[in-house]
Amino acid sequence: MNQSLRRPALGIAVWLLASGLGALWIARAELALQREAFETDARIAHRLLSQRVLQHEAVMATLALLQPASDGDPPEERLPSVYPQVLGVQRRDRDAAWPDERLRAAEAESRRLRRAVLASLDLPRGRYQLVLGADPASYALQIDMRAMVPWSEWPMKPDSSPTRVTLEHGGQSLVLQPGQGHEGGWRFEFRKHLAASSQPFDLVAVRQLGPGDLPWGRMASWAALVAAIMTALLSWQRQRAKGRRAEELLRLGQVARLNALGELAAGMAHELNQPLTAMLANTQAASRLLDEDPPELATARGAMMQAVEQARRACDVVGRLRRAVQRPDLSAQVQAVALQEAVRNALYLLEPECQRRHVSPALDAVASSLTVLAEPVALEQIIHNLLMNALQALEQVPANERRLALALSRADGRGVLTVSDSGPGIPAELLPRIFEPFFSTRSDGLGLGLSLCETLATSMGGTLSAAPQAPRGVQFRLALPLVPAP
Amino acid sequence: MSTPLSPLIHLIDDDEAVRSSLALLISTVGLRVQTWADPQAFLAGFDRQGIGAIVLDVRMPGISGLTVLDQLVAQGVDQPIIMLTGHGTVEMCRRAFKAGAAEFLEKPVNDEQLLEALQNAVRQHVKSRQRHQADREARERFAQLSEREREVLGLIVAGLTNKEIGRALDLSPRTVETHRANLFAKLGADSLAQLIRRYAALVDADA
Repeated sequence: MNQSLRRPALGIAVWLLASGLGALWIARAELALQREAFETDARIAHRLLSQRVLQHEAVMATLALLQPASDGDPPEERLPSVYPQVLGVQRRDRDAAWPDERLRAAEAESRRLRRAVLASLDLPRGRYQLVLGADPASYALQIDMRAMVPWSEWPMKPDSSPTRVTLEHGGQSLVLQPGQGHEGGWRFEFRKHLAASSQPFDLVAVRQLGPGDLPWGRMASWAALVAAIMTALLSWQRQRAKGRRAEELLRLGQVARLNALGELAAGMAHELNQPLTAMLANTQAASRLLDEDPPELATARGAMMQAVEQARRACDVVGRLRRAVQRPDLSAQVQAVALQEAVRNALYLLEPECQRRHVSPALDAVASSLTVLAEPVALEQIIHNLLMNALQALEQVPANERRLALALSRADGRGVLTVSDSGPGIPAELLPRIFEPFFSTRSDGLGLGLSLCETLATSMGGTLSAAPQAPRGVQFRLALPLVPAP
Repeated sequence: MSTPLSPLIHLIDDDEAVRSSLALLISTVGLRVQTWADPQAFLAGFDRQGIGAIVLDVRMPGISGLTVLDQLVAQGVDQPIIMLTGHGTVEMCRRAFKAGAAEFLEKPVNDEQLLEALQNAVRQHVKSRQRHQADREARERFAQLSEREREVLGLIVAGLTNKEIGRALDLSPRTVETHRANLFAKLGADSLAQLIRRYAALVDADA
């Protein structure tokens, strides 16, 4: 992942894959949800219509039981006012005949099956008759199928619902709800007989979903989210790589400086060793020649001349070295530098070193900012060296006794940084010597760090001093001139 | 002051001042010195047969003293080699001794240290040359012996008497005595003890 995200083509491929899979999952979930809603609606519609047709059976059975009353006023006359779907009721008394042949045939069928049967079904117009043969009178109900639908309880909006609902029987069909058709795409279908055997209509519900029904908005949001996450990841990675690179550069710089110093020392040792070797050999040879009896004065004199020449050669080497490493005058390069900023920067760079030694530096800064006159690189070098010095001193005491405190203050028109450690400290008699070159209390120290710091501080018009710290440790104090108020 | 046969010290250092001063110092004890500025010229031109020693600086331009040391050892040069170095590390010292250096000294070098090391080296070289000379002579004489004489010599070294030797080789004691006189003459031995000291090792190697 680390490497892959950096290559654009691969990054895009990963994004496409993640977006595609996510969108597919979203679409499937949405379709499943739609199907469930569709089936629930269809089941409700089926239940409602089944109740109605069962009601018709019940009404007919009741009529057959009641039979015409002797005082006239037949009960069937009042039916249409109670049930809006009942358009009319016909009665055939025992000796009368049906006006319609179809009704007669239906009654015969009804008597055979001992239940109500359909007659003169006209589904496209939404009309049918229900006939029940009984004694002394038989009845026929004229039903309006559209009025039969209980719209108030209907689970869908008949005008706008995308679902098409029809009643079908024997090749005829009645559209109760037109729905909105799409060609292609996905098709949900529900088909079931109504619950009354006398009116065996099929309730058919169909829902066609096209590409337009997919949740494009959510799918696009998901793709955008994936892109955003990947971009954030990428930039976080870049940021981290940048930080690491900076650290590596810093370390590399330190190593390079040390190497250069080692090379310089080795070169210097060789350059001085040669004349020293010649001087020693010449003087010792001369001494031996003078001891001879008689002394070989001429040869001895020649050897001494040689020794003098070699001493001059050694002087030249030292002079050349001094000129080579002469530092440019820093006082000409000073500029306004925020001391807090420089300290925070150095602390940030040394954070891994602190963590490695279980030291958490405490910084105590004054409220107002201290802007001092300094050469930024030299200042950074001084702070870095003082901190490294303190960290190395703290290595010599147990981890729970390691304290590193930095404080910024203003004194006598100068910005002051103090660095105090709770390390083993420096014996009082050695304290005055710690800024001398090649003086070190560490066995592996070159003794150049503090010497360099002091030289740099002085060349910027500042001072660097050290004092013992109670109860233990050392406090270094760096004072630099403040920028004069405008 | 010195005869042509006196030991010769070869001094190799690229620095003119070091070369001349050390040469002067060495000459004060009566040793002859030949100085070389260029290691390659030294390798190509120095006298391998002469008695003496070699003083070699480790740090030289073009070729390291340690490389020169390796080449000298590989070529079978038997003169002792003293290494000089400006700043010697333990590793460098170890390498030099392992490669066959006789001594490893740090510059600037003290006169007594250097001169003593040189005199030791020369003494050792003379002794080793003498030993080689004796060995070569013994081998040449041994090669002149006949097959039968070698057999007799082997049994003499094993501590057998003439009679026992005659029995072992199926010879008469008189014949054994003749072989014995011949091989003493050929090997130039004056006594039985001298014979055994010089030739026992060769007999063992021959067997």
